[in-house]
Amino acid sequence: MPPGLDNLKHIVVLMMENRSFDHMLGSLTAVNPQIDGITAALSNPDTTGAAVQPQPLAEFQGQLDPDPDHHFPAVDLQIFGGNTSPGRAANMQGFVKSYFNQQQDVGHSQKIMYYFAQNQLPVLTTLALEFAVFNRWFASIPGPTICNRAFAHYGTSFGRVDMDLLYVNEPFQSIYSRLINANPKHTAKLYYYDTTSSTMEITNLLQNQPELFGSYQQFLSDCSSGNLPDYSFVEPNYSDHDGDAGEEVASDQHPDHNVQAGELFIASVYNAIKSSPLWPNTALLVVYDEHGGIYDHVVPPACTPDQFTATANDTGTGMPFAFDRLGVRVPAILISPWIPAGTVVNRVFDHASIPATITKFFLRAFSPRSPRETSADVFIEPNAGTVDPARNLLSLGTMRTDCPDFDV
Amino acid sequence: MALIHVPRPKNAMDPDRPVNALLKTQMLHLHDAESKLPIGHRTDVYINAIKTEGEAANYIRQVTEAIHAAHAAAAKKRARPAAKRKPVIEIAAVADDGPVRKRTSAGANKTKKRAKTKPDRKS
Repeated sequence: MPPGLDNLKHIVVLMMENRSFDHMLGSLTAVNPQIDGITAALSNPDTTGAAVQPQPLAEFQGQLDPDPDHHFPAVDLQIFGGNTSPGRAANMQGFVKSYFNQQQDVGHSQKIMYYFAQNQLPVLTTLALEFAVFNRWFASIPGPTICNRAFAHYGTSFGRVDMDLLYVNEPFQSIYSRLINANPKHTAKLYYYDTTSSTMEITNLLQNQPELFGSYQQFLSDCSSGNLPDYSFVEPNYSDHDGDAGEEVASDQHPDHNVQAGELFIASVYNAIKSSPLWPNTALLVVYDEHGGIYDHVVPPACTPDQFTATANDTGTGMPFAFDRLGVRVPAILISPWIPAGTVVNRVFDHASIPATITKFFLRAFSPRSPRETSADVFIEPNAGTVDPARNLLSLGTMRTDCPDFDV
Repeated sequence: MALIHVPRPKNAMDPDRPVNALLKTQMLHLHDAESKLPIGHRTDVYINAIKTEGEAANYIRQVTEAIHAAHAAAAKKRARPAAKRKPVIEIAAVADDGPVRKRTSAGANKTKKRAKTKPDRKS
């Protein structure tokens, strides 16, 4: 067994909000051409027909206001460029048109093509270059937050493509229930920032299993005491509010929240793990729930249909959706001292890969799981049987001692 | 590798920012959850009147804490030993009383069975 997998005991997932791959990490193609980001060939037409190229002019706050539309019909426009004919092909040509629809301002609509320069995001870009960055991690659904986050918890959104989710008598257990009810028992926790920020998984988990939740302060304490659960899911702060320690600035990076505050938060999570006794035994996935309506150039691929279908009425596009296409590409980075610097992963993943990976790693198997989850690829190989070296990202024979540190 | 400097945001705090669609959804989900709480744990907040992030955050905190409190109260109640349990010998005596047990488990025809059991109980 490779020592990285042999040592791995804890997996942490940090899910941020609403930024596309090109917007956050597209600049890195200039540093490492293997990273599939921004090139001079990319553009989107605006409503005058002019080609708008991506430019490194993104600002931390105040630029993407109003919040770019990322509900199902808008994302359909962004991906298919407004083509609604049968047999249409995705072309990623509708982002500027979609943003124009919100204010009818041609100049403002072009800002949806802006991306961050590498030096603006020292945390995310450093982690992407120093560990494993995924070229093909997509949102699970071409739609908004809640249904996409559901895929991270359940491997499905139970047929929903919107922000309303009800889990009544649904067949698939959350990854947390699978772990804590397993024999032998595993441990799992969701850490929200604080009770004022709370969680985005209220419909089922907070209402029925509040004991699964802890605060970010508890996460920090669990890291430093070496008591992290087997699986942790960390949520950022979703709102500006007054907390016990004073002013708490939203760190989720959801437009129009400050992107630098999110950088600080990512660095804080990373530092907490890196400075803990569990660093050799922990892998951290930093991933975004969906693209937030912001430009990305990679066409989302088709995927195994889920067993649910959203009706034409549900999608708002006049067409049903069988969950047979992924959403827009998002940033995703896997961090561990056993991963070689500069690793670029080209296999296809989506958020269903999260419960798929956790299940295979800790439980080996579990049934029932959604068709989308059972067909999703895993980003950490199970630590049993024969491990394919070509798939194992924690591949180093000895642990790195040159991993970055951030001054948080 | 050298320590990497992470810039701090300047003037980012704005609790008066209009509440965004995500927080509105979070409030709606919490409002639904709140409606299932015992009455004593509910807030009296009218969520349609919430306009700013700060107000939304305040409501979200109240309901999140209320959910935890309601579960804690229920767990405490479950853990409390049953008050004034009958002595074992008394329970055993009732258990020996066959007809009475039949009556408690029967769903229908209660009057008829009660009539049957009466003489037994007297005896």
